Amino acid sequence: MSDAEKTGLMAKMIGPKKRWRAYKGRVKELPESYRTAAEAIERYLMHFVPTDGDSNAAMFEDLADLFEQAAADGTPIRDVVGEDPVEFVDAFARNYSEGGYVPARARKQLTDDIGRAAGNEAGPEDTTV
Amino acid sequence: MAKLETEMLKGTLEGIILASLAGRPAYGYEITARLREQGFSDIAEGTVYALLLRMEKRGLVDVEKVPSEKGPPRKVHSLNAQGHEYLEEFWRTWSFLTERLEQLREGGK
Repeated sequence: MSDAEKTGLMAKMIGPKKRWRAYKGRVKELPESYRTAAEAIERYLMHFVPTDGDSNAAMFEDLADLFEQAAADGTPIRDVVGEDPVEFVDAFARNYSEGGYVPARARKQLTDDIGRAAGNEAGPEDTTV
Repeated sequence: MAKLETEMLKGTLEGIILASLAGRPAYGYEITARLREQGFSDIAEGTVYALLLRMEKRGLVDVEKVPSEKGPPRKVHSLNAQGHEYLEEFWRTWSFLTERLEQLREGGK
């Protein structure tokens, strides 16, 4: 999937709902065990707060890519998700929501607030802004 | 894989994948299989896939879709100039770390 597809005119035209339905359709076509695994991961991913619709849609499309390829190769589920599926999904989700269970704006707020506090710090050598 | 090994691998897996790609381009499953052969037996394909996606987003690898006999096209990843630079930095950091750790080990004897 190219970036143009994720963020470009196409994405705006087809819209998140249609992309979601397309993703669900792909998952439905998977062999049963792969479908079950993909749906379990999908449920877990719902906990993450998406930063925007495009990256959220791309996340599920990439998930479908992984499981379609795994099903085609006959890769066992355990080899795909590993012994600790949470670890895999966390690493996976970090690509889209910047990780964690808090909204991105909360993380940005914290970063900005600390930055401001550190910037206003009256240190002896602190002559910066 | 022992828990400690898993923990220590976490921070280095990205560099390991880049190093593997520096040899020659590969698609996700190939990389996982290669690493397994080299003794990283418990690496999950999904984890490698997740890291490859991240590297793609950060512009460290170039991706080309190649049709496969069965299933969807495979995404073949190759290291680009920025990826090579990042890999060099990874090795520099690695050398620094191992050197310091060796010093600690010697000092602790």
